[in-house]
Amino acid sequence: MSCKRIDLKGYFLGELAEAERRETEAHVRACGECREELERLGATRAALAALPEEEPPRKIAFVSDKIFEPRWWQRFWHSGPQLGFASAAVLAVAILAHAFLRPGSTAPPPAQAVDTAAIEARIEGEVSRRLQAAVEKAAMESEARQSQRTAELVQALERKFEQQRQADLLAVEENMDMLRKRWNVMYMASSELGGTQ
Amino acid sequence: MIFREAEDSDLIQGARRGKVEAYNVLVSRWERRVYNYLLRLVGDREDALDLAQEVFLKAYQSLGKLHDASRFAPWLFRIAHNEAFSHLRRRRPDTDAPAEPAQPLRGPRLLPVELSLAVESALARLTAEQREAVLLKIFQGFKFEEIAEALDCPVSTVKSRVYTALDLLKESLAPMDRRGVE
Repeated sequence: MSCKRIDLKGYFLGELAEAERRETEAHVRACGECREELERLGATRAALAALPEEEPPRKIAFVSDKIFEPRWWQRFWHSGPQLGFASAAVLAVAILAHAFLRPGSTAPPPAQAVDTAAIEARIEGEVSRRLQAAVEKAAMESEARQSQRTAELVQALERKFEQQRQADLLAVEENMDMLRKRWNVMYMASSELGGTQ
Repeated sequence: MIFREAEDSDLIQGARRGKVEAYNVLVSRWERRVYNYLLRLVGDREDALDLAQEVFLKAYQSLGKLHDASRFAPWLFRIAHNEAFSHLRRRRPDTDAPAEPAQPLRGPRLLPVELSLAVESALARLTAEQREAVLLKIFQGFKFEEIAEALDCPVSTVKSRVYTALDLLKESLAPMDRRGVE
């Protein structure tokens, strides 16, 4: 094999397939020029190794930040495999319990051919049904909480408005009373003045 | 290596569920490699540290997009590559091509000084793409396929960059290394 067909750098960098690597090794043993080239590549790598790796001046670390933490539904979604496994386990236990504890049955039924595809489909259906139910329940609870909070706010506002209205009415009545008294005083004073004349 | 990958996968799963401590462990495993890659590309320690922090923050925010946890390393270095080249373009906005670190590293050096200087100088003469290819192949030990994944380019391009860079480095460093050894 001629030197031109040899991928000496690929060999040096450990990127050749096994057969090609063996061919190159055989060539290098027989070719002085390629051996010398390989030595120069080795010397280059040794020189590069003289450049030391450095430690970062400061350690990089992160603290918990609510902004970056996943929401409850994201955690719920990412826990899919665990949830699926747990649901499958519950379902398997339920099936077994049903089989063993069924009234009138003292011994397990004779062995039957297991339809794994049907069981898998059933498990899958059960998991997705529960997932859907959990999401719907959470959404309904959230909506109910929101409605209750809105109703409480409206009631509080109505109470405050009524108190303010009562206070305003009282103030108006007091002012009117004061005006009436002043008008009476003025009327009496003018009558006395007219009587003396 | 297999055990290490499995552990990283566990940490990634933990971080996806919001466990920041799991992510911090992952960061402590990779920060040195990412920092040194960035340092050799941008040539400044403070810039490299800032970029490394940005890389790990973006990685944390994008963990949901990492479909295969065993590809974490090339995925992480892809983010690092994007950050580094954005930084280089910002530093030299007047040129289309990514800039090179103009000067050797600032700050204290480790012995042997002469050899370190020669290596830094030889690396600085490469284009940013060639230098990056050498960093990922020689210093970080990635396979060509992984580098291609990180840089989003064909394997043939990676191979060409590494081979050209090796030829250029060999011209400067092989004789220099012999002198140093003698």
